[in-house]
Amino acid sequence: MKWKKSISMLCMGALLITSLSGCGSKADNKNETSNEKENTESSVTGEQNSGDVTDIEVWGTNTGYLPVEKGSQLYNFYKDLTGVGVIQPYVEWNGGTTYQEQLNLRIAAGEMPDIFTPVGGMEAGLIESGALLDLTDLLPKYAPNLWNLIPAKVWDVMRANDPSGQGRIYTIPNVINYGRNGGMIRQDWLDALNLKMPETQEEYVNVLRAFKNDDPNGNGIHDEIPTGGRAEARWMEHLFGMYGVATWEGYPQWDIYDGKLTYSAVTPNMRDALEWIASLYKEGLIDSESLLNDKAAWDGKINSNLVGSWTHLPQEAYISAETIEKTTGVKPNIVTLPALSAPGYEGYYTAMNISGISYVVANTDDEEKIQAVMKYLNAWADKSLWNDYYTGVEGMHSKLIDGKLKKLPDDKKSQQNLVMVPYNMIADLDFMTQMLEGEKTPEREWAVSQSIRDMQDNQKYVKSIAGDGIPSSVYGDYSDIQNRTLYIEYASKIIIGEYPIEKFDEFVEKWYASGGEEVTKKARAWYDSVTK
Amino acid sequence: MRESIKDRLFQGSITFVLCILGAIALIPLISVVAMSFSSKAAADMNIVNLWPVGFTLASWNYILTDGGLWRAFFITLTSTIIGTILALTITSLMAYPLSKSNFLMGRGLVLFVIITMIFKAPVVPYFLTIRGMGLFNNPLVLVLPHILTAYNLIIMRTFFKQFPEEVEEAAKIDGCGYFQMLYKIILPSSKAVLTTVGLFYAVTLWNQFQHPLMFIQKADLFPLQLKIRQLISGGSEMANITMMSNANYTESTLSAATVVFAIIPIIAIYPWLQKYFAQGAMLGSVKG
Repeated sequence: MKWKKSISMLCMGALLITSLSGCGSKADNKNETSNEKENTESSVTGEQNSGDVTDIEVWGTNTGYLPVEKGSQLYNFYKDLTGVGVIQPYVEWNGGTTYQEQLNLRIAAGEMPDIFTPVGGMEAGLIESGALLDLTDLLPKYAPNLWNLIPAKVWDVMRANDPSGQGRIYTIPNVINYGRNGGMIRQDWLDALNLKMPETQEEYVNVLRAFKNDDPNGNGIHDEIPTGGRAEARWMEHLFGMYGVATWEGYPQWDIYDGKLTYSAVTPNMRDALEWIASLYKEGLIDSESLLNDKAAWDGKINSNLVGSWTHLPQEAYISAETIEKTTGVKPNIVTLPALSAPGYEGYYTAMNISGISYVVANTDDEEKIQAVMKYLNAWADKSLWNDYYTGVEGMHSKLIDGKLKKLPDDKKSQQNLVMVPYNMIADLDFMTQMLEGEKTPEREWAVSQSIRDMQDNQKYVKSIAGDGIPSSVYGDYSDIQNRTLYIEYASKIIIGEYPIEKFDEFVEKWYASGGEEVTKKARAWYDSVTK
Repeated sequence: MRESIKDRLFQGSITFVLCILGAIALIPLISVVAMSFSSKAAADMNIVNLWPVGFTLASWNYILTDGGLWRAFFITLTSTIIGTILALTITSLMAYPLSKSNFLMGRGLVLFVIITMIFKAPVVPYFLTIRGMGLFNNPLVLVLPHILTAYNLIIMRTFFKQFPEEVEEAAKIDGCGYFQMLYKIILPSSKAVLTTVGLFYAVTLWNQFQHPLMFIQKADLFPLQLKIRQLISGGSEMANITMMSNANYTESTLSAATVVFAIIPIIAIYPWLQKYFAQGAMLGSVKG
C-alpha cells in the first residue's frame, strides 16, 4: 500500500512539475526563439543597427572570462572607442582545441564569425576555399594604422604564406617587436656566494655547482635546484641557446644551419646541446623532475625560492619576485642571464617576431560589414587607444587611484573578456614598459623595476631567426612532425641518460624518413619565396 | 577446514587489493579537497599534497558567493529533474507498445530505434537540425535531445516483455484499457526498471557537457559542467599585468573548490542509488 501511495505522489509531482515547467518553458521558448532569430539575423546579414553602429562578431582567446554581449558594458565601451559594435560569445578555449571544434562547427553551419583568430593551421584550407577576405588592398586603404604598425617585411612573410601562391594577404600576424623570452638568474644568490655573473659556459656550470652545494638560499638545507625546465624538454632555452639551437618555449624552430633553412632539432647543434644537458642531468645540476614538471610544478619550485636559473619572460620577473617574497619572505633579485656560448658556438635567445596569426576576416560581399571590420582593425592598431584597451571598463577591469586608472586583479566572476588586446598581439617594448611603469607603487617598485630592467637587458642577447613566421601548412599531413613526437621522445630519453647520445643520429634519420624530408623541402621553398 | 582457510585467504586478498585500488582512486580526490582549502602561498609553491596547507576558506567563500555558479547549479538541477521525469514518461509510453508481440508495427519501429544506436548522426547535420528547431541558446536543449535514448528504451521494453501476461489479461477482463493498464498495473510494479532507467537519464542529464558546449553560448544559460569548465580553464602562458591581488586564493585553489562543489551532489546521492545500478545491469542482460 505504501508504495502505491508513494508512486501516486510521484506521479502527482511529475504532473505538477511538467505542467508548470510546460508553462514556464513555453514563455521562455518564445523569448528565446525571438532572441535566436535576432542572433541569426545579425550573424547572417551582419547588421543589427543600434544608432549607426554595425555589429561584428569577434572570436578569439578567452580563458574563462565573461562574454561580450550586445548592450553590455564592454560592448558600449568598445562602441564608443571604435565606432563598431564588438560581440564575442563565450567559446571554451581549452588550449585552442575546443575552440577549434566550435569554430569548425560554426563554419560548417555557414556562420563564420566576422573576424577571428584561426588555430591549428586551419586558415590555409579556408583561404584555398575562398572563405576568407583578401585584405591586400583593403588594409592600406581602410586600416592604415594596422598597415603601418606592422613592418613591411612581416607583410611580405604573410604574402609568402598565401597557400594559393598568389602572394595575397589574408592573415594578420601576431607580432612581437622585441625579444620576449630569455634566461633568468638569481643575482641575490650569486651575491650571497660571492660569485660573479658567468660569462662562459664553464663559469655557468661552476655557478650551478655552487648553487647546488653552497646553500645560496641560506636555509641550511641542500634543497636548491640549480636549474631545470618543464616536460617535453620545454622552457630550457637558456641551455639550448648556448649551442645556437633556435627554439621557442621548447618548440624547435627553423633557422639557417650550414647555409640552409633547417629544423633546429635535427642539427649537430642540437646533438651537442643534448649531450651537454644530459651531463648536467647526470651531475644533478638540473631538476631531476625537469621532464615531468608541468607549469604549476615548475613555477611552484621557482616560487618556493628553490631555483637558481631558468627560462622565462623577463617582463614577468616581477611576478616571480613578488610571489617568492610573499611565500618565503625573501626579496629576490632576478636578473637576465646573458646569452652564453658553448665552445665553438654562438649563443643567443631566440626571438620570434611573428608568432602565429591574430586575425583573419570572413569573406563577404557586404560592404557595410567590410567597412566595420576595417574600422575595427584600424582602431585596434591605433596606439593612442591602447592604454584605454588595456585599462578596460572602469569599475570592472580597473579603478581610479590618484587620478589614474589602475588595472584590477583578474577576476573571472565579474570581468568580461577583453577582446581588444593589441598590446599582446602586436607587442612592443615601449608599450610593455609603459604598462609596467603604470603598476609601480611604493610597495611594488622593487619588483616591477626588475622586470623593466630585465626586459631591456634581454634585448642584447636575442636573435631573430630565418624561419620566423613559417606557416604551419609546411607540415602538411605530417602532424607527428608538427607535434614533434619523435623529438620529444629522443630528447627526453637522451637527457635522462636512457639513450646514449649516439641514438641522436638514429633520430635524425627517422625524422627525415618519416616526413621530415618533405617538410624540409616545403619549408625551404617557403623561405625562398620570402627572401626573393 | 582447509578449504575455508583458503577461501578466507582468497577473500582477504581480494579485499586487500580492492582497498588499495579504492585508496588509489581516492588520493586525487583528497588532494583536490586539500587544495581547495589551501592558501595562495601554498598553491603558488605547489606544496599541497593530501592535507590543506595554510588552511583558509577563501576559495570556498569566493565560489559560493558567485551567483553565476548557483544559477548554473539550479539550471542543471531543474533540467535534470524535469528531464528525468519527461524521459521516463516518454520512454515508458514507447516501450510498452513495443513490448507487445501483437503490435504489428513494433518490429519495424524497433529497427528504427536500433539504427540510431549503430549509426550516430554526424556532428554538423545534428547541429543544424537542432538549431533549426530553435533550440540554439535555448534552455530546452538541455532536456529535449535527451528524453529518449535507444539503450534505455530497450532495457524498459525487455522488462515489460517479462511482465506476466496473465495479470494483464485479468486486468483486461476487469475492463482495463491499455493506458489504464500501463499506469495502474505495469508501472507501479516496475519500480526497479524505472529507478534504473531514471538514474541513467539523470546521470546523463547532470553530466552533460558536449550538448551545452555546442548549443549554448549565452553565459546566463550555462549548466553546471560548462560553468565549471569556464572557471577552471587554465590561464595562458602570458600573465596579465595587473594590480597586486590581496586575495588568498589562486586559479588552482578556485578550480579545486569548484570541482569539489560539483561532485558533492553526486557523491551524496550515489550511495542511496547504487544498488539499483547493479539491478540495472541484470535487467539488460535477461533478454535481448
